[in-house]
Amino acid sequence: MIRPLILGWLFAVAVATGASAQSPGRAELIAGLCGNAAATGDAGNRILASAGQPDAAELPWMETVTSALLDRQLKCAADPGQTVVDGGGAVRNAVTLEPASAPDQPKVPVLNLKNRAVFELAQSALRLRVGATPSVRRQALTALGRKAASVPVEVFEQAAAGESDAGLKAEIESTAQISALNSPDIAKRIAAVERLASTPNRRVQTQIAALLADPAYKSDQKFRLAVDAALIKVGQGILLGDVLSTLYNGLSFASILFMAAIGLSVIFGLMGVINLAQGELIMIGAYVTWLTQEALKSIAPGLADYYLFIAVVPAFLVTAGIGVLLEATILRHLYKRPLMSLLATWAISLFLINLVRVSFGTQNLQFLTPFYISGGVPVVGDFIVTWNRLFAIAFAAITLALTWFVVNRTGLGLNIRAVTQNRDMAGCIGIPTRKIDMMAFGLGSGLAGLAGLSLSPIYNVNPQMGGNFIIDSFMVVVLGGVGTIGGTLVAALGVGQVNVLIEPLWGAVAAKVIVLFLIIAFLQWRPEGLFTAKGRRR
Amino acid sequence: MTKFSRRSFLKSTAGAAAAAGLTNLAAPALITSARAAGTVKLGCLFSSSGTMANIEGRLNHVVRMAADEINAAGGVNGSTIEVVTSDPASDWPLYAQIGRQMLQQEKVASLFGCWTSVSRKSVLPVVEQADGLLFYPLHFEGDENSKNVVYVNSPPASSVLPAVDYLMSDEGVTAKRFFMLGSDYVWPRTINKQLKGYFKSKGIPETSWKEEYVPLGFSNFQTLVNQIRAFADQPGGQPVVILTTVGSSIPDFFREFINQGIKATEVPVLGLDVVEADLEGLDTAPLVGHLNCWAYLQKAAGPANEKFLKDWAGYVKAKNVPFKADVVIDPMVSAYDSVHLWALAAKKAGSFEVPQVRAAFDGITFDCPSGYKLKMTAENNYVYRGVFIGSVNEAQGFDILWQSKDEPKPIPFSPYG
Repeated sequence: MIRPLILGWLFAVAVATGASAQSPGRAELIAGLCGNAAATGDAGNRILASAGQPDAAELPWMETVTSALLDRQLKCAADPGQTVVDGGGAVRNAVTLEPASAPDQPKVPVLNLKNRAVFELAQSALRLRVGATPSVRRQALTALGRKAASVPVEVFEQAAAGESDAGLKAEIESTAQISALNSPDIAKRIAAVERLASTPNRRVQTQIAALLADPAYKSDQKFRLAVDAALIKVGQGILLGDVLSTLYNGLSFASILFMAAIGLSVIFGLMGVINLAQGELIMIGAYVTWLTQEALKSIAPGLADYYLFIAVVPAFLVTAGIGVLLEATILRHLYKRPLMSLLATWAISLFLINLVRVSFGTQNLQFLTPFYISGGVPVVGDFIVTWNRLFAIAFAAITLALTWFVVNRTGLGLNIRAVTQNRDMAGCIGIPTRKIDMMAFGLGSGLAGLAGLSLSPIYNVNPQMGGNFIIDSFMVVVLGGVGTIGGTLVAALGVGQVNVLIEPLWGAVAAKVIVLFLIIAFLQWRPEGLFTAKGRRR
Repeated sequence: MTKFSRRSFLKSTAGAAAAAGLTNLAAPALITSARAAGTVKLGCLFSSSGTMANIEGRLNHVVRMAADEINAAGGVNGSTIEVVTSDPASDWPLYAQIGRQMLQQEKVASLFGCWTSVSRKSVLPVVEQADGLLFYPLHFEGDENSKNVVYVNSPPASSVLPAVDYLMSDEGVTAKRFFMLGSDYVWPRTINKQLKGYFKSKGIPETSWKEEYVPLGFSNFQTLVNQIRAFADQPGGQPVVILTTVGSSIPDFFREFINQGIKATEVPVLGLDVVEADLEGLDTAPLVGHLNCWAYLQKAAGPANEKFLKDWAGYVKAKNVPFKADVVIDPMVSAYDSVHLWALAAKKAGSFEVPQVRAAFDGITFDCPSGYKLKMTAENNYVYRGVFIGSVNEAQGFDILWQSKDEPKPIPFSPYG
């Protein structure tokens, strides 16, 4: 008996303290959020509609419960008055936001996709109105901009009116134009079309193309011209975006191929050893990266986000160390027997896989995704620059520069080149060829370790991951010409780009086959590969 | 009862190494077992190396756990169960080879194994020739009905189609357009063929779907996610992705999907082979809302599930199993069900002979951890079970979005294929 009274009183208080008359009561809304899918969706639509009301007093509360629902922090009790928001380190009553205790056996609502879309929109609308900082509001605006047509136009009007940041205010007004796409005022519609065309992509193209069937397109010449011009502009934007996107995808794939192949190129080029354990060295590099991350988490949690930079040194040193060890203990004795060294490196690769499997298990390792490699930014058309790929590209570029420097500008590099070109002659003039072999094997292995590091944000890290790379990297090394950094680079760029060009046309399976076929055909014509170092094998 | 001791562990590891190395050469003695007399042997065909290792590997341990449970309760027909494990190394022909060895040399009473359909297809002639039994714990493409295979999980009519129906309904997302992306082998191709037939029967025009395949183990999804974005932006209604890639291609796909900024509310992904284990290592906050469908989800309510989760956690701890104690996936539960179904049938038949055990399948029931009661009939070797639709949550798991009222009748041959 008492409970409904209290609820009624709360409702009255809510109304009295400033919520306007058409704003739904708090308890009623909470009951909706905790109800079945239909009730939840209904409550969501009411919240979205309320986001446009002039009076903002009730909106922060709505934002809190909407976010709580989306983040599964809303714990429903049978009685809406007992429902709590359990998050941000405190348990608060969902209606009053006063501290409260969690109900027994709370029900945590699971949003279906349809309702989730409504609440995501409502959350952005509310944040645009009452977000604490301009950056929160700007983020909300970006999210709303993608679905501007389904946001009540009042949300933008009120938000623009209440906005203190001048730049953001202009952005809001600009986005608001889109929601006038279907307004009766033809001038507003033209403005909306022009505004849409300023960010060309396929979504916009679909939206504008739909206007071709609009009665106004036939009747109003100005409108027709605006729509036609917008379609042309959007089409150009999309084309540009697609070209850039293909180039970027090709470059990104090339960077992966290059990283996987560069270490092999040094080893294969210098010693002619077909190192089948190269993929496993990549895998170990990734594991060292993970270990570094775990160590940072426990020693210096503040630096944990930067593990990808900090792990460069250990990843290189550990894999280089393993490489030197392998060379000194096993491969050194097999230089005269290439088939044996092939089998030996295969055995090493199996040993390493199983060693890691026994010590770490087969599951994928869990990496942090720091802010600098998560998400992406749309550039033009449908071209999005994804940060993790950009990281891999930049990393490959730096590795390329450093490797080139070591090989061409240092004493070690000079010796390596000398031994590659003519081992006997190099030995005669006093270069310690055995020691150079060891160092070069270490360098090649260390580069594989760096590959593992740079690939860990893109690929799954597990004991088997190395196998994915070995064929691709041999393909690149052989195509590029044994032992030349430039050849490896050009081959990686070529294979990456060709792959990306073929994929949308005939599918990923055909792309692999065609690329392999092209390489075989090319090697028939030029068995030495693209670039050839004048060397002892001639 | 075979202990999972360090010795057997080393042995199996050595076996795995040999298997990985000698895939196409003569089969080495890579089956591990320790005892012979007074026991009945069950054979496992689950890879602990290669592309399927991360998900298949844990099924070996579940079979052992179920066998331990049955042995602790007195065994079957006076014998204790001994589990024989192997490592087919994700190499499809090797499944057949090891399966044959297990049936002929080890004389196992039944085989439990295979994840991918291609491995099942490779074992099929072996069990048919030797009149053995294979319990297959994965949901699959159907269109197969062998008396030598027990299809413990659901064919598409009782798993995929309800999920697609849900997506097409107003309660779901009113899906109108479908991007089907799969690994290039029999399961995705058959599923997609049936889906296309189903869409046609619903009057959906052919322009509303697109089909793409990638090689097994493929990981560079950049171009494909670009294609999905382009597909999603075309007019014609709500797009969804029906994902039938397997193994490591699943997390790689999702990672690219996140980075290109596509939300579940814009383009939901129905991942037919996506399990909790595939989300390990991913930040699932941007993936919340994507869907999967299975006959068991870890969040299933009921005492049977609570017991199973507790037992698994205890088993992982006691036996030092190299998998997570708090992650349980449908095929694990199905493998566990398999052993119990076999034991029930063997008990009912009073024999370990395959014809008798098979005849005893009719009418056996088992309380699955999913909360549904599994049932088998004389009609075929399919199992009646319930269906769940799960929604990815931020904790790398799945929330139950929908579940079937009862156990639909399994239909082996799809009318839409």
